[in-house]
Amino acid sequence: MSLSGSRSARTRTTLRNGAIAVLSVAMLVPLYIVVVNAFKPQQEILLSPLGFDPATATTQFLQDAWTNPNFPVVSGYAVTLFLVVACNVVAIGVSVPTAYVIARTPTVLFRVLLMFFVAGMFIPAQIILVPAIFVLKALHLMGTLPGLVLFMSSTMIPFTLFIFTGYIRMLPRSLDEAAAIDGASQQRVLWRIVFPLMKPIVATAFILNALSAWNDFVSPQLILGPGSSFRTITTGVYAAVSSYTTNYEIVFPTLLLAVVPILLIFVLMQRHVMSGLSAGAVKG
Amino acid sequence: MLGRRGALGRGLMTVPAALVYIGLMVVPVGYAVYYSFTEYNGIPTQAPEWVGLENYTRIFTDPTGDMHSSLWVTGVIAVVGAFGVNVIALGLALLLRRTTPFTAFARAVMFYPHVLSALIVGFLWQAILGPQGAVNNLLTGSGRSTLPFLSDPDWALATMIAVIVWAQLGVQLVLYLAGLQAVPADLQEAATLDGAGRVQVFQHVTWPALAPTVTVTIVTSVLSLLKVYEVVLGLTNGGPGDATQTWAYEILAVSFANNKVGLACAQAMLLIVVAGILSFTIIALRRRAEEGAEALS
Repeated sequence: MSLSGSRSARTRTTLRNGAIAVLSVAMLVPLYIVVVNAFKPQQEILLSPLGFDPATATTQFLQDAWTNPNFPVVSGYAVTLFLVVACNVVAIGVSVPTAYVIARTPTVLFRVLLMFFVAGMFIPAQIILVPAIFVLKALHLMGTLPGLVLFMSSTMIPFTLFIFTGYIRMLPRSLDEAAAIDGASQQRVLWRIVFPLMKPIVATAFILNALSAWNDFVSPQLILGPGSSFRTITTGVYAAVSSYTTNYEIVFPTLLLAVVPILLIFVLMQRHVMSGLSAGAVKG
Repeated sequence: MLGRRGALGRGLMTVPAALVYIGLMVVPVGYAVYYSFTEYNGIPTQAPEWVGLENYTRIFTDPTGDMHSSLWVTGVIAVVGAFGVNVIALGLALLLRRTTPFTAFARAVMFYPHVLSALIVGFLWQAILGPQGAVNNLLTGSGRSTLPFLSDPDWALATMIAVIVWAQLGVQLVLYLAGLQAVPADLQEAATLDGAGRVQVFQHVTWPALAPTVTVTIVTSVLSLLKVYEVVLGLTNGGPGDATQTWAYEILAVSFANNKVGLACAQAMLLIVVAGILSFTIIALRRRAEEGAEALS
């Protein structure tokens, strides 16, 4: 009886692991197709999309993609990284003091203020972009990187502020009150005492904001404009690929150049990304 | 300590965030409301012309017969996509709930599409499922006929939903895994000892305890599915015909691209209002289930 029980448990584990393995392979097939086909000429891609023949493999198409003027890879990465950092600095920088004040002032006014900010979470960024363009035009920020950074940051503020407020509320008030009695100014209490304690939630916000900035296509495409000298990875890929979607000698190498770095970062930071996401969701 | 200077200082600390947020989100919503009642081609020298509710009646009567199909497409994506993504993510979460090096690897594999831009996901699957894509070449190579993944209207919509599910299930998986950790283990054990089967344990313990997670996953997936745009651009560019044109595509690639700013803003307002109403309705409907979860823990 117990013998058969343990045997059936073992069968179940084997079955489960088998299912997980099959599903994992299925998820990875598209990535495999991009990788092998980035090294093959068009004819070979069409004849055997899954095969890989080291004898005919060439880095020629990757080199072509690298030097494609539509997608300047190095500067595309530089611009995208700049956006990730700049938007986070702005969004986190303005959200910390506001969240601190809201969390530490339990009056109706500040509760309404929080709701006012949080309402922004229900407004899809790319939908509000059309009228935002007219604001940016009026401010003479249309077509500029500062304009793009400000718009993308503004869409990050609601969520960032929301999770920061929730986090600061959990920090003991006695900490900052003691410091305030010792004569430290409000700014000093905030940045020297409260902010260092916010490390985990700041990391969560940074990761989630970084993902959305890294992958944003509509904002840079519309705010910088298709003719801009600044290209992000996504607008570069669009410029390089959208008119040549059946020229796989262009499509696959370009996609490979666009996905490899972010996937490497993901592999290295995998645990932080996934735990940051669930932490953010639990707070949300 | 709570003197006037303190209050003033406190108020000042909210100013930077308020400036950026109001300037680039609240004021644009105001602009959108205003423009939605005007006819405006977006050219600065030409003033918007007040037309009252004309843009809204145009959306509801759809005289040129192109908008209602976008509403339908978006609705199908939101309903079928949210259902698919959540069922698959929950199934995977149950499969991967124990933490071993193997499941940790599998979780990362399920999640990786989410770190790719939706535009890139679209292009990638277009190269795999397009008329000359990898799958159809394999089919013709083995002597079979090709499948119209992206060339038949119904297939294209189904394909697009499948691609979106592929790209988004990782996020919901992470949320379900976090939710499963909160399911009281002693309750599950007690139920098993009382002779409950796996299905019964899931039905009476695990599922009710997951209620708050389910609310979050439904709201987040519906909100993100209502604004699907980039994956359309990469995968089908709205085609064949307008079979995969979503509402966001209608706003950005049709109305705005054709300088119909007033109409685009009315369409944007409709999406914002629908997204808000849906979120609150789902949250309200889920309240009962969530109270059940509190009673459990």
